[in-house]
Amino acid sequence: MLKYILRRIILVIPVLILVSVIVFFIIQLPPGDYVTHFAAEMAAQGETLTQEEMDELRATLNLDRHWFVQYLFWMKDILLHFDFGHSFNYDEPVTAVIDRYMALTLIVSFITMAFTYLVAIPIGIYSAVKHYSIGDYIASTIGFLGMATPNFLLAIILMYFSYVNFGDPLLGLFSSEYENAAWSWGKVWDLAKHMVIPIIVIGTASTAGLIRIMRGQLLDEINKPNVVTARSKGLSESRILFKYPTRAALNPIVSTFGWTLSNIFTGSTITAIVLNLPIQGPVMYNALLGQDMYLAGTWLLFMAILTVLGTLISDILLAWLDPKIRTEIKGG
Amino acid sequence: MKKRLIVFLSLVLLLSFLTACMGSSEGLATSETGDEQETEAEKEPVEEVDPSSISSYNEAPELKELVESGKIPSVEERLPVAEDVMVEEVYEETGVYGGNITIPWKGADDEWTVGKPTEEPLFRFNEDGSRVEPNVAKGYDVNDDATEFTIYLREGMKWSDGVPFTADDVLFYWEHMLTKETFGKSVYDAYFSVDPETGERHMAEVTKVDDYTFKVTHKFSSPDFLKRVAIDNKWFFAPAHFHKTILPEFVGEEKASEIATEWGFADVKSFLKATGYYYWTNVEIPTLRAWVASNDPHSEEFVMKRNPYYWKVDKEGNQLPYVNNFIAKKIQDPSHAMLGMLGGDFNLGKFLVQDFTVLKENEQKADFRVLLWPSVNFTSAAIVLNQGVEDNNLRSLVQNIKFREALSVAVDRHEVTEIVTNGIGEPIQASVPEGLVGHQEGWKDQWAEFNPDRANQLLDEIGLTEKNSNGFRLYEDGSVVTLTITDQNQASAEFLELVKNYYENVGVKVNIKFVDPGTYSDQLYNNQLQATTAIPSVVNVALRPDVLVPLRLGQPWQGDFGLYRESNGEEGTKPEGEIAKLVENWDKLRAASTEEKAMEYANEIYKLHHKNQWLLGYAGPTPSLVVAANSLRNVPEERFFADEFREIGHGHPAQFFIKE
Amino acid sequence: MKRLPLSKKLFSKNNTDNEVGSKIPTDNTEDYYASQWSLIWKKLKKHKLARFSLAFLIIFYLGVIFADFIAPQGLQEYQSDYSNTPPMQIHFFDTEGNFHLRPFVYGIESTRHPETYRKVFVEDRDVMYPIQFFTEGKEYKLLGLIPTNIHLFGVEEPGEIFILGTDGMGRDLFSRLVIGSRVSLSIPLVGVAISLVIGLILGGISGYFGGWIDAIIQRIIELFRSFPTLPLWMALSAAIPAGIDVVMMYLYIVIIISFIEWTGLARVVRGQFMSLKNEEYVLAARIAGVSTPKIISKHLVPGIISYLVVAVTLAIPGMILAETAMSFLGLGIRSPATSWGVLLQEAQQIDNVALYPWKLIPLFFVIFSVLCFNFFGDGLRDAADPYKR
Repeated sequence: MLKYILRRIILVIPVLILVSVIVFFIIQLPPGDYVTHFAAEMAAQGETLTQEEMDELRATLNLDRHWFVQYLFWMKDILLHFDFGHSFNYDEPVTAVIDRYMALTLIVSFITMAFTYLVAIPIGIYSAVKHYSIGDYIASTIGFLGMATPNFLLAIILMYFSYVNFGDPLLGLFSSEYENAAWSWGKVWDLAKHMVIPIIVIGTASTAGLIRIMRGQLLDEINKPNVVTARSKGLSESRILFKYPTRAALNPIVSTFGWTLSNIFTGSTITAIVLNLPIQGPVMYNALLGQDMYLAGTWLLFMAILTVLGTLISDILLAWLDPKIRTEIKGG
Repeated sequence: MKKRLIVFLSLVLLLSFLTACMGSSEGLATSETGDEQETEAEKEPVEEVDPSSISSYNEAPELKELVESGKIPSVEERLPVAEDVMVEEVYEETGVYGGNITIPWKGADDEWTVGKPTEEPLFRFNEDGSRVEPNVAKGYDVNDDATEFTIYLREGMKWSDGVPFTADDVLFYWEHMLTKETFGKSVYDAYFSVDPETGERHMAEVTKVDDYTFKVTHKFSSPDFLKRVAIDNKWFFAPAHFHKTILPEFVGEEKASEIATEWGFADVKSFLKATGYYYWTNVEIPTLRAWVASNDPHSEEFVMKRNPYYWKVDKEGNQLPYVNNFIAKKIQDPSHAMLGMLGGDFNLGKFLVQDFTVLKENEQKADFRVLLWPSVNFTSAAIVLNQGVEDNNLRSLVQNIKFREALSVAVDRHEVTEIVTNGIGEPIQASVPEGLVGHQEGWKDQWAEFNPDRANQLLDEIGLTEKNSNGFRLYEDGSVVTLTITDQNQASAEFLELVKNYYENVGVKVNIKFVDPGTYSDQLYNNQLQATTAIPSVVNVALRPDVLVPLRLGQPWQGDFGLYRESNGEEGTKPEGEIAKLVENWDKLRAASTEEKAMEYANEIYKLHHKNQWLLGYAGPTPSLVVAANSLRNVPEERFFADEFREIGHGHPAQFFIKE
Repeated sequence: MKRLPLSKKLFSKNNTDNEVGSKIPTDNTEDYYASQWSLIWKKLKKHKLARFSLAFLIIFYLGVIFADFIAPQGLQEYQSDYSNTPPMQIHFFDTEGNFHLRPFVYGIESTRHPETYRKVFVEDRDVMYPIQFFTEGKEYKLLGLIPTNIHLFGVEEPGEIFILGTDGMGRDLFSRLVIGSRVSLSIPLVGVAISLVIGLILGGISGYFGGWIDAIIQRIIELFRSFPTLPLWMALSAAIPAGIDVVMMYLYIVIIISFIEWTGLARVVRGQFMSLKNEEYVLAARIAGVSTPKIISKHLVPGIISYLVVAVTLAIPGMILAETAMSFLGLGIRSPATSWGVLLQEAQQIDNVALYPWKLIPLFFVIFSVLCFNFFGDGLRDAADPYKR
């Protein structure tokens, strides 16, 4: 197993190099560069930049060079100084920008993810065991309600609903009085209040999928001969459920589980924008939109590393869940 | 229709005025004093108050505490000398200290949203924007031929860190920053005078007279100098004592680079731009503003705190500002401004007319008032044809005045006003609105009548008689007459759909293309746009010419004519015909010796625009909405909402106050 | 892995099509000879909810086919006087209380609220417009072939009938909903199908063969997962020539999306195959010398059919809504062309939620159709379950 993991990790390096080049290439692919975006931003605020100012800015930021030269400079600094460059937009080192949003991103992601898994898997099991019951239908319908409504729309509806009924649309993560305050019980309660809509929006968006997959798989497994045998041996229903079928049913969820690793750090971008959540997703979204090369590049590279690691974790989990796959991985 | 609109608008104004009055009288019911004051302040124009007549000063309670604990000097010492203190008129009534102004902003790269309302220029525009009045400067003298401006500063005035503000700060800015181009801007056009004979530009000289007086000397007459400075270079000064610690000229390149890195910047240039130009979001930099930055602008809430050394008082001697903090709260989507305004997260905001109904219906529930500030836009639904478009066929078309007239009369403006402006705009042509410099009789009705037959006839006259099977007109070479309208946001989608229908109805094929703002700006600067919807907005062409006269790149209707001027004829296309006349008139305007003469040439420019109608408009300008919580008082009912006048800043936020 | 060639050698002469263990004997002797699909169909028919869902889906797709006929208005029509009209009431009783067998609507008049400028519509009770069926309206081509002007229902001019209200330009929402279903109920399926095929093939190969093939395919997936799509769309949006047909453009975009989105499916198929290929019945087939494609199609795919059904039904709403996320780049469908995504896009402005809530009606159609797809999928899944009696 260890040898397998080691080999996989070595394989990571060429993938990452390839990813970093492709990513850098794609970021600069749209027309214009950071300076044109900056000019557009300033024009919207009433300040017009002259051609001369723009050219000078380009020269300062090295944007007048070929993208591959920019890439090489960037890589050189990363490899030699562990310096990921500066964000044009924030006028700060990239790492400082990422650092600023990390804590809240993790909080939001973990809460919504925990919510998703803790709600979806039990409901999925319940839906399978009691399939075609009222509870099954209700769970399915609510799940699909969340899934088929664009997050954007759902968020706006919920915020407006909250305003109409409670007088507060619950924007962002904190009310004004707690925004810059130190942590206290009041602040935690305030955060909890503001988390309700994000949890509903992000949660319902992904729970439906999980519930359906879990339910479908479990229904397949529940009637399999091994389960029937176990049942005929007189094992208790719940024991049977968790011994065989549930484990097997987790296979599809585990297969892509590793990728949620990168989702944790990004959060649900569009939803975060709509709900005004100060987390990584929107920051990166804007970096991509505004061609803030190094910020976007660093972030995507980081995401690529997480994807690769996530795949590895997924594979290990798959093996752990299923002895048949275990021999496969060891042998292969 | 038109009449009904006017009646309606006046009704709205009247009503908002009434609700505002009701709001304040409600507030008065709880506080028992000040009843008479209120009515006085409401109607009568406040007479000039002699600052030295104010016997004693008052200050905010928390400043009092700081004074008592010895952390800051007393209010008398913080303010300028008595006769130089600036007395600010209050709009409704004398305020009380406390509370916050909270506005939405998009984050640290949205500098101007906090910059404009807190700005303190040397001279600011008066209420109707017709002239400048003293602000940071106490006053000025000018000689008869408008070449020598002697500007007086306020004695004893201090930066927000307590260091005296003197003529040296002006000189320092001029000598070591602006003329050295340390912050990425070249010396503003306002500082140049033009030789009427040769057209040569000469940079002014700035000299110190004494600590509180300096002189700007132009080689030739420059009658608009102060107004132009009030627009081009709002702050003609910088805290020398601060900049001496960071400018490479004083600390050396190496040290400057070190400091830049310490502040988190990648290079010295970006650093100097952020500190020299967008300085007001930096905590470390002292300013003259009513509120100064107190935390990192990247925070969710950027808090600007009361400047204890602010140099304005009300007529009773209360040091301004009344409000403790000016807070900008970050939003990521425009809908948040609305939601936050409804929910009370913000107590001040600016909105577009599209939001009028929602805001108005929630006035009571959300406890705010919607104020209509007239805009200085030419129109609220523009189609801007690129006069310098690269395609030869299309260029000769858009340069043809008949073609523009055809496109103008091909559209039913009533429908546009109904759908695009919610019935609020008038069905008129793009033109200078009444009450502004350059307003021309009859302009707004030019080609404004819906007449597709006339449009067809005009297009036939141009020679576009051949049509293909789809009914689209053909050029002589057999290609279809096609206009691609590019826009950077979907907000114009309905308008463009209407325009497409109407244009195609007279045989001009239209393609609509939406792109992201970066792509849009890239195409704009590379002259790749054929047509777009940019709304022209200008207070006075003599003060800010770019929109109407091709002097530099960046205006979609001007193609690369502006680049020709900007690059001294090296790049771009030389303007010809009537467009060239715009530039000629501008040159004459710049060389004019009196304001009257300058205005004559400005009027010529407006007339050329009137005659040629390069900018097409399909709905009259709509007011900007300023929304203020009912507890936030002294917000003017009505002011011109213009970038030149610093938008909400034109209402003098330092005298806004919170009335519980 | 190593067993396969050996077994092939040993049993190559006896290579038959014997399907070990794939058919389950049932009580009905007929079923011994029935194909797998007819079996599924038989079971599906017994599934009540699936039957209902199927019925609704059929109705939806009939609506797609005859959209121009059902919709009282075409895509190009709009009436600025009737912008933002709320859904109109259909009456059976007139002001005097008389019952009319033929339902009717009243004429409407619009004014603007003097203060808020909201458009207010009042019924003009003096004018009645009976609803007429098979009435004449705008010209269109039925099924894209037969030119006609007969519409399912309508009222006589100058009356208007907006049963679901109108949008900001005064276009009938019901017409747009019906016509929009053409795009929303067809193009997403193309995308799902492409993802499914790529995911199934690459995931299947990866899981079945394992080893270095697996390693390569997994690395490719990782590469795809790391693609930043936003700049890709931005570049595409700028590169696409103006004037291209938006529906075709959307089709291409969906195809591109599905070329990126297959990775999730491929990962799951791989995991399932890795697990299934060591099942006894597969081993047995392998030892019996059954060819690899056959093992995959006859033994492994049926084993994951329930996952596939779920995955496909789950992917549909995502594809229907995909365009809402991209329209700001000018990439989605744009009016006058329409789709459910476009209608939702219009609805999701705060002003519309607050003032014109009927614009949210399309949402219910999206949800309802997704539920139908899903419950039908459930039925299919149950029917395909080989263990279920």
